[in-house]
Amino acid sequence: MTTESTVLISLRQVTKTYRKNGREFHALRDCSFDVMKNEFLVIVGPTGCGKSTLLNLMAGLDFPTSGTILLEGEPVTGPGADRGVIFQEYALLPWRSVLKNVELGFEFRKNPVSRSEREAEAMKYLDMVGLGYAVKKHPGELSGGMKRRASLAMILAIKPVILLMDGAFNALDSKTKMTMHQEITRIWETEKNTVVFVTSDLDEAVKLADRIVVLNREGSIEAVLQNELPRPRLGSAARDLDFHHRFIEFRETVMNVIKKDAGLRTCAIS
Amino acid sequence: MAKQNDTRQKNSTGLMALVADRSFYVLGVILFMIVWQIAASLKLFGADFSEAFSPLAAILALIEMIKNGELLHHALPSLRRVLVSLSLAVVVALPIGVLVGYFRRIEQLTYVVFQFMRMISPLAWMPIAIIIFGVGDVSVVFLLWLVAIWPLILNTSHGAGRVSPLWVNMAKTMGALDMGILRKVIIPAAVPDMLTGLRLAVGVSWIILVPAEMLGVSDGLGYFILDTRDRFRYDQLMATIMVIGMIGYLLDSANRWLISKFSWKI
Ligand SMILES: Nc1ncnc2c1ncn2[C@@H]1O[C@H](COP(=O)(O)OP(=O)(O)OP(=O)(O)O)[C@@H](O)[C@H]1O
Ligand SMILES: [Mg+2]
Repeated sequence: MTTESTVLISLRQVTKTYRKNGREFHALRDCSFDVMKNEFLVIVGPTGCGKSTLLNLMAGLDFPTSGTILLEGEPVTGPGADRGVIFQEYALLPWRSVLKNVELGFEFRKNPVSRSEREAEAMKYLDMVGLGYAVKKHPGELSGGMKRRASLAMILAIKPVILLMDGAFNALDSKTKMTMHQEITRIWETEKNTVVFVTSDLDEAVKLADRIVVLNREGSIEAVLQNELPRPRLGSAARDLDFHHRFIEFRETVMNVIKKDAGLRTCAIS
Repeated sequence: MAKQNDTRQKNSTGLMALVADRSFYVLGVILFMIVWQIAASLKLFGADFSEAFSPLAAILALIEMIKNGELLHHALPSLRRVLVSLSLAVVVALPIGVLVGYFRRIEQLTYVVFQFMRMISPLAWMPIAIIIFGVGDVSVVFLLWLVAIWPLILNTSHGAGRVSPLWVNMAKTMGALDMGILRKVIIPAAVPDMLTGLRLAVGVSWIILVPAEMLGVSDGLGYFILDTRDRFRYDQLMATIMVIGMIGYLLDSANRWLISKFSWKI
């Protein structure tokens, strides 16, 4: 589905080791792949296989032990507002209201943004994620799904070229999840950003992805699969019988790749 | 905290229930007064513990002190000394606390010294304070300052130290630089702990105030205690003790209110 095939992020032989009880431990081994401009890339893999580590490296919050990560041809030297991260755990500031949390990104700008302008912009993104009704609430008063929406608005407000999302819709009920899938797809299509999306939910992966990167439990890449399913894939389109058939078929393909990695049956369909 | 929740729940069951609930606080005070009055009237603590020490005498003396302006004359300098020393303590301790909490190396460098210093009663420094600053106001303020900085530093550093790395990372990915992270994440996250530190600091300052004012100043509640003793006005002595307790209670309540305003839950 990549209309432009410009490479945005490129990973070459990326390896990340941690020290655990004095022993070297490979979280990632020799990972090489490209993220294309405007692509929706999904990373799947069993728990502990290094998905979050991979995302942290792309975000510039951590650095590879060996190998290189290039962003538009330049090595990643640290975090930046061009890459918005939605962390696996909620990262809202508990002493700020939802609105103030979304305004946070503007407060870090070099050129100050006026208060009213900040508010208007923040409201725009809160409406976009359907949280316009709860802007005065504090994170402690939000449900899991609302926190996800708030984080999403917070990151969208900094207008990142790349969205790095880690298990963003984990632990949401299926209805909320469905709405969030629609929202993120719509936002991705209108804002034309690039999304790298980590999940362990295969249905979700197949619904959202242009391509799926499958990590195995050794922390290396098992396969990169192109998703040929036509868009739109959500809502009424999903009820089409032929579409449904192809959906199942592709999910099966991904599943088989995952199963090759022995003992991985647990990571699967939810 | 549990008590507060308790009363809030009762609030919903009606005003009468709330009043009945709160009345127990007042009842405690009244019972205390009665026991005190009986002990004084019956000379339970010996013949020397006379009527002059009774709450009735104290309240009469208090009214007299309010009328002739003696109370204000001594309470105001006391409050002024505590507020000046607390302000100076806050100005010094909060930045130190944030640095100590945020940078592990600074924490290591200061840990032993701070733990050691905070265990020393400020009154132990009294001769040194008098050598440096002479007898008078400055010495008292210095001693109060010295007792107030430790709870402020230690609580602030505790608050700044347990800031979730997730928040810091989030701020970084939103383009925040060190200054932005400090101002928008670290410091606000530490505010509840700073206020806890402030509450403890106010408590110890107020307690140390009385002995500190016995060291060569000529006004203040601590000074007045010695003065009433010398004039054998034990009713005024007891009244002053009551005033010290009441002001301390009010200061602490103000702090509790401040803490409840600024606490947030995760
Ligand atoms: N800072 C760290 N120090 C040591 N080991 C780490 C660190 N971060 C991650 N690891 C280890 O690296 C491996 C990969 O962790 P990572 O968080 O990337 O997994 P994940 O694929 O995101 O898992 P999940 O699906 O459960 O979120 C795990 O075994 C983890 O224990
Ligand atoms: Mg993870």
